[in-house]
Amino acid sequence: MRIGFTKMKLDCYQRTFAHSSSSLTPIQLPAHLETHLWYVKPSEVKNESLLKQYLDILSPRERENVMQMRGEELRKSALLARTLVRTTIARYQINSQINPRSLKFRKNIHGKPEVDWQFSNDSLPPPLHFNISHTSSLVACGVTVDSQIGIDVEEKHRSIKHTVLSFARRYFSKHEIQFLASITDPQVQKLEFIKLWTLKEAYVKALGKGFSGAPFKTFTIRFKEDSIHQASEIVVDSFDEPTELTSNWQFSLLELANSHYAAICTEKHAASAEGKRNVPTKLTVWKTIPFVVDECVSGTDAVKTIYG
Amino acid sequence: MASFAASPVSFSAVSCTVKPNQVSNLRRASLSFSGKSSPSRRIPALRFRVACSAKPETVCKVVDIVRKQLALPDDRDVSGESTFATLGADSLDTVEIVMGLEEEFGISVEEESAQSITTVQDAADLIEKLLEKK
Repeated sequence: MRIGFTKMKLDCYQRTFAHSSSSLTPIQLPAHLETHLWYVKPSEVKNESLLKQYLDILSPRERENVMQMRGEELRKSALLARTLVRTTIARYQINSQINPRSLKFRKNIHGKPEVDWQFSNDSLPPPLHFNISHTSSLVACGVTVDSQIGIDVEEKHRSIKHTVLSFARRYFSKHEIQFLASITDPQVQKLEFIKLWTLKEAYVKALGKGFSGAPFKTFTIRFKEDSIHQASEIVVDSFDEPTELTSNWQFSLLELANSHYAAICTEKHAASAEGKRNVPTKLTVWKTIPFVVDECVSGTDAVKTIYG
Repeated sequence: MASFAASPVSFSAVSCTVKPNQVSNLRRASLSFSGKSSPSRRIPALRFRVACSAKPETVCKVVDIVRKQLALPDDRDVSGESTFATLGADSLDTVEIVMGLEEEFGISVEEESAQSITTVQDAADLIEKLLEKK
């Protein structure tokens, strides 16, 4: 499959149509302290030949996994998840590696997926990190450089079978249960629950140790009020990890496309001699249909920052 | 395969398929049910022990809970071999399923064990292991 491209900078506030049916508009790697978020809405991808094209760039194993999903909708979102990962990473054209089909992946010791860069031994692997999350209605991929990342997306109005508080009592920390229990409006309580869930998931995924590596009950995510600047910050306290390690992580929480919450957790860096100050990270969000159109949606109604 | 001589046993799940090879090494056993009893399940005093994979009853209960959690259509086949992932369970569904199983069977599942469950059969086997310990 030929992949053509023009050397074009993907500026924000632009909608960019791929210049041919198999091209990906290239983009520069995110800078230090910058996060890129790409998402696809499965409902907007209906073209059968496009879906076939996507299937074609997957590895045989990935294809098999997609076909094993039970139900068309599940197959589609599984297909789009792998497509999004491959096409997104391919855009960054590290060492001219632009073919999404040629990317190889492996899992770290705890099962977290990462790119298995196919370079010769004397090249250092690029410091690109990614993490993916998908629901049946939205698939998202976050990308950073030099920083671990975990993301989680959930439908805002996703139904749960148990009550918020019984769920929280089983899985959340004491502080979080108290926080949720203090909310009197059940609808607000449910929304806050979903937000908290995505933040906790994003943290665990950023750590990359799997669900049992950081059991939900062993850490608290809370919203800190900064009395000087009156800005809210999301922080994590852990019973197991010392403070220096938990202060290593920063969070953003967004509302995407008016329908989903997206939580992003990334590693902070020792930005200055004063230690790990809270330097705001730049987040850029694109809505995409790979090979068809990319639309930068940061600053539009499609992306509402709740925290971060 | 366990046979119930007296009253018919009816399951609330629509379909519940258990392969014969899941019940090998059948020895003498005692049937015990923790959790809710259902009027439709009149089990006579038949005593035998299953020393291997989970009892079909357990698998069926797991299937039932999974079906409800994932709101699966009636024609979606779910068996012991079905993986939660291919049925469409995401992480939130999975923890709710674990909660459902804990409630149904009166057990407590640790995070490490929960993480290793990928199929319906895995869940049923874990449940039986935990029930044995009680």
